[in-house]
Amino acid sequence: MTKAETLSRFNVRVIGTNGPTLMLAHGFGCDQSMWRYVVPAFQDTHRIVLFDYIGHGKADATDFDVERYSTLRAYSEDVLSICRALDLVNVQFVGHSVSATIGILAAIEEPERFDRLVLVGPSPCYINDDAYHGGFTRSQLDELLGFLEENPLGWSQTMAPAIMGNQDRPALAQELEASFCRTDPRVAKSFARATFLTDHRADLQRLRKPSLILQCSQDVIAPQSVGDYMHDQLRDSTLVTLQATGHCPHLSAPDETIAAIRAYLQDDGRPHH
Amino acid sequence: MSELSSDLPCGDITTSVGGTITGVNSTLLRWLGRSHAPTRFQDLLNIVGKIYYETHLVPHLTVGEHIEEVALDLLHADGSSVPVLLNAQVLRASTGQVESIRYAVFPARERRRFERELIAARREADQANRKLSELNLTLEERVKHEVAERLKTEAALRQAQKMEALGQLTGGVAHDFNNLLTVVLGGLDSVSRFLENTEVTAESARARRATNMGLQGARSAAALTHRLLAFARQQPLDPKPIEVNRVVASMSELLRRTLGESIALETVLGGGLWNTEADESQLQNAILNLAVNARDAMPKGGLLTIETANTALDERYVSSLALSVPAGQYVCITVTDTGFGMDAETLERVFEPFFTTKEAGKGTGLGLSQVYGFVRQSGGHVKLYSEIASGTSVKIYLPRFTGTEKKDPISTPFVAVAPSRGESVLVVEDEPLVREHAIHALEELGYRVHEAANATLALEALQRDPAISILFTDLVLPGGVHGEELAARARALRPELRVLFTTGYARNSMVHQQRLPANARFLSKPYTLDELARELRRLIEGTELLS
Repeated sequence: MTKAETLSRFNVRVIGTNGPTLMLAHGFGCDQSMWRYVVPAFQDTHRIVLFDYIGHGKADATDFDVERYSTLRAYSEDVLSICRALDLVNVQFVGHSVSATIGILAAIEEPERFDRLVLVGPSPCYINDDAYHGGFTRSQLDELLGFLEENPLGWSQTMAPAIMGNQDRPALAQELEASFCRTDPRVAKSFARATFLTDHRADLQRLRKPSLILQCSQDVIAPQSVGDYMHDQLRDSTLVTLQATGHCPHLSAPDETIAAIRAYLQDDGRPHH
Repeated sequence: MSELSSDLPCGDITTSVGGTITGVNSTLLRWLGRSHAPTRFQDLLNIVGKIYYETHLVPHLTVGEHIEEVALDLLHADGSSVPVLLNAQVLRASTGQVESIRYAVFPARERRRFERELIAARREADQANRKLSELNLTLEERVKHEVAERLKTEAALRQAQKMEALGQLTGGVAHDFNNLLTVVLGGLDSVSRFLENTEVTAESARARRATNMGLQGARSAAALTHRLLAFARQQPLDPKPIEVNRVVASMSELLRRTLGESIALETVLGGGLWNTEADESQLQNAILNLAVNARDAMPKGGLLTIETANTALDERYVSSLALSVPAGQYVCITVTDTGFGMDAETLERVFEPFFTTKEAGKGTGLGLSQVYGFVRQSGGHVKLYSEIASGTSVKIYLPRFTGTEKKDPISTPFVAVAPSRGESVLVVEDEPLVREHAIHALEELGYRVHEAANATLALEALQRDPAISILFTDLVLPGGVHGEELAARARALRPELRVLFTTGYARNSMVHQQRLPANARFLSKPYTLDELARELRRLIEGTELLS
């Protein structure tokens, strides 16, 4: 694939021209529009790179290779090909949910491209283990995957509410259009399997870059125990527990989230607890 | 919570942005079998719903303003699922942050059931479609296969019909020639005898030479017609139970002479080989024909292998042949050479009479057609395999004979022509020329001759003249009663009557109707005077009993 093809395939958008590169990676079930409250806060100080994973948002879903995308490694390879297409270096990578793991894998693979990582509601493994509390039993996750298999009319289809454009909100430099959070059902099934059934705990130790863990309160998907575990395993990590509840603090409590990220990025990188 | 809301026939619930329930109406509580709401909206959801809430519902609501018709299952107090549809609307503070979320909840049990049925129906339709297209694919294949089989069968049938037609034509021509040759040979024979009794002069020597040449020519022509009759499956066969291994072994000297120095001969004779019932000399002839063909295919030398083995032809194989033979046990004789082989076009025509790949003058093109005729007439099957530059292999299948083998009668040595003792012979022959020739020949030999043109007249003649002691009849007669039957009836009249059959054109080429009765004597046309005389003496003086 040529550079131009890569940028087109993943619906890559670049906002702002000054400063270090801030790459925002969405998580399961959504697309780049979930960063719409975060983008304005950084577009004057950073060069923001947004993209959609395959089959999400406006990214292409043709020739979706189910085999290839059965692991998160495939998604991290896509992230690296975007970096290559834009010749990115010293990327400050912000990954939400499963994108945290994807970012970690990418930074292990090509560390020279990354400066540091921000991990929002991350989890390396969702299944409860002997000593590890991932948050779900295997049967609960099977229930989820079975549910996706059924493909009920509704989930991951044209869920899109019309985005009315709130008058109070500042206009975005690049319009994020009304096709919000559409996910190709095939891809949704596959991404769900790759996300919820894979175990990347062993990879954590291999990361050689500093990272910020933003842990939410009462996040059913990434519980506190997981944040603690990650902080323990990631050698150069900072753990910040937000007041915000739920799994999407950048949507439900954007100000708190932006503040935490900004503080970390401005820091010279020394770890503190 | 306003009074209005509690009368609402749908659920009404408000939460903070984090999901904490700040208000709920009694309708919803009633549906869920609860007296009061739990702490958070998520507590009303099963695990799937919880994940959906965090990954889809909240992002949608917080980015957009509202959602409509979201299908979820809420948890009844007793643990069962209550399928619902949700509409939700966010309320924002002046800062733009989401302050609260308002949900309208509708029951959706029926709708969920429809959805499930629809999904199932769609899945079934997909499956049916897939099966249909699979069937279509194989249908094409199956049709193609059927058509190919049909074409193959038709081609084989055409070939068989062609051979039949050729056989009929050849047989017809050969029969007519035979009759004429009998006359020619007879005439020349008479001239030859006359010349023997004349003085040797230059003219008589010339005449003698000319007569001999004529005789040779006529004899060659006779040999030729014999071979044609063989192809037409109308030659007289004298089948007897034989051991094929013994026949092949007895031919080794002859074969080696025929093949010459440069060709090695290998015989592989199967142990415990079954007997077959066939005309021994014709079998030898057939093997010899194959050996000659093999020799001509290996001008620079090579290897000829003759193998014998017991084999079985199964139903499937015989039904694939255009002219089938009965399934069963057969003795297989395989003659294989390492010669230059034949291409597919040649193979198709190889059994046709006069078809030859040799240069003009080298071979009549009758060898394989004779083999074909002999084998078919003996109730067998012949198959030819060949590949260019590899060689050719001919397999002759003859049916297994399971009766007890009778010992071959020791052939009587050559007997010099003895004149008759004036016995009375009844000649039965429908062709006038041939009949006349026979009469003259017999008279020359000193027999007293009676004649008849058909069986009825013959029986009348027999009744009239009790002196007739020999019946000399053609096998095929007009009027529906053939030579065999005539002989049977005649012997019923006159038990000590001796019968000599002569060959003729058999209308029916089936083996059984060609077969002569056991112990029958026959003389094939055309015959010379010598041959006639010899056969008659053997008939009269032979020790075989006619029963």
